[in-house]
Amino acid sequence: MRLGRLARDTFVGLVLMTMAAPLVVVAGVSLNARKMLFFPPRGLSLHWYAQVFEKRAWFEALTTSLTVAVSAGVIALAIALPISYALWRYRITYARVLYGIGMLPFALPPVITALGMLIFWANLGYVGKIPNIVIAHGVFLVTLPMVMISLGLESIDHEVLEAARIMGADDRTAFRTVVLPLILPYLVAGYAFVFVLSLNEFIISYFLGQFVTVTLPVKVFSQLRSGYSPVIASVSVMFILLAVAVFGAIGRFGDLPKLLGAWRPDDR
Amino acid sequence: MKAGGRRGRLFVLGFPSLMLGAFFLAPFAIMVVYSFYHRVESGFYEPGFELTHYRNFFSPLFTRHLLISIEFSVLAAAFSCAIALPFTFILSRYPRRLQVAILVTVLSVLSLSEVIVAYSWSVLLSRPAGISNLLVAIGLMDRPQSWSRGYWAVLFGLTYFNTPFAVLIMFPQCTRLEREITEAAQTMGASPVRTFLTVVVPMLRPTILSAFILLFVFTMGAFVTPQWLGRPEHWMFAILIGDQALQRGNIPFAAALAMFFMVVTLALVAITVRLGRSQEARFR
Repeated sequence: MRLGRLARDTFVGLVLMTMAAPLVVVAGVSLNARKMLFFPPRGLSLHWYAQVFEKRAWFEALTTSLTVAVSAGVIALAIALPISYALWRYRITYARVLYGIGMLPFALPPVITALGMLIFWANLGYVGKIPNIVIAHGVFLVTLPMVMISLGLESIDHEVLEAARIMGADDRTAFRTVVLPLILPYLVAGYAFVFVLSLNEFIISYFLGQFVTVTLPVKVFSQLRSGYSPVIASVSVMFILLAVAVFGAIGRFGDLPKLLGAWRPDDR
Repeated sequence: MKAGGRRGRLFVLGFPSLMLGAFFLAPFAIMVVYSFYHRVESGFYEPGFELTHYRNFFSPLFTRHLLISIEFSVLAAAFSCAIALPFTFILSRYPRRLQVAILVTVLSVLSLSEVIVAYSWSVLLSRPAGISNLLVAIGLMDRPQSWSRGYWAVLFGLTYFNTPFAVLIMFPQCTRLEREITEAAQTMGASPVRTFLTVVVPMLRPTILSAFILLFVFTMGAFVTPQWLGRPEHWMFAILIGDQALQRGNIPFAAALAMFFMVVTLALVAITVRLGRSQEARFR
């Protein structure tokens, strides 16, 4: 039995190590003093981190990415919340249909969605702008917050709502004073997921940006095509740290396993 | 008071309907129409109805890339599931704090851009900065070697990219698996491995199947990994679509490719679901 536990822990450890391996190497590479690809790094320098803020092209890509991610999160929630709420509260068939459509982006290779959206905007003559990418990300990444908010709503007792109604609260008041506070953790987590995934999304940004609006992953992609630069490594490290910070905060202050759909016996 | 009644309820859904309709469904419809348009030599296109684009991709080139895409996607999805299933099952039995720490790691890896993942592995598999240096240092190899750019590098990269997704999909059901069931099996004398294979795997069959399908679809869309870890013969279908749409500006052909690609992907998904169902039926 003890041997079994050791074997299990070793397996989990190996998988985690493999997951972390490239991150460690990239972090090492980013510290190289000279403009060469070495691991372990030769000569330590934070120069390549400073470059992200000093070089205009990199800094612009960074601000574009942040703008897109912050706004895409808002749009995704604005789409997801009404659908999940209407489905849970009123059980309308139409809400179920919308829920199904919201699941679709997950069920198709993203390149198809990207091309469809590119053709759509090209038709309107509005190409390569930030709002294109914001809307696309908001719609494309709606699935995760939608599923999460629904999970949150399902965990609310209908009796609580009943109580609110008996006390004289109309639907709107009940939503604001009862439902919203209860699902707030799920809204925050859903927003965080969209934010981080939008920040890292490549193919839609690549198709819709049309080499005019450039997000960081697209910038990394085109930079690697034209030649290696250590800034790629430092940017990657910054993204990794940001993801760890966001999910670490959720893990620290929220119930991460539950947000991901875990179900403990005492939840019943 | 029932705020607005039925109309109020539908009003709530106005914004979601508008967004999903205008920016997801409409683009789709337009793409279908475009795939029949006529392309003018100068690089533009005009409305029309022709099947040229649909005929064009029955060439050895496109068929080969379609086949390699399917091959990579099936294998990468299968490998990821095979790694993620025991991993997630063990994870779901860990104490809470450890579980949260591991989940944060998995989520961070999951959220990484395909660009960053492919780049990291190309570094790790490269000669000047890769794992082979480590093996030379230990004395297992004579001199560092480059392992990037090849079939196995692509497959490895895709599997790596998929595994965190697989963990995330399997996690809820793994936590719902009653502890008593596995304990019962072991009380009856089954070894942990045997318990896992004969009790846990069959019980999680639907979850494994949906994880496999989702990862298959995801991998079919791989764009960066095959370009950086493979050679041109490993380029997957998504790259060809991007090439036609962005580099060559042949939107109608790209649209036709995308439609064809979607139909093939959905057909394969349908077949997998069917196979899974009949397996299920036999199992009962």
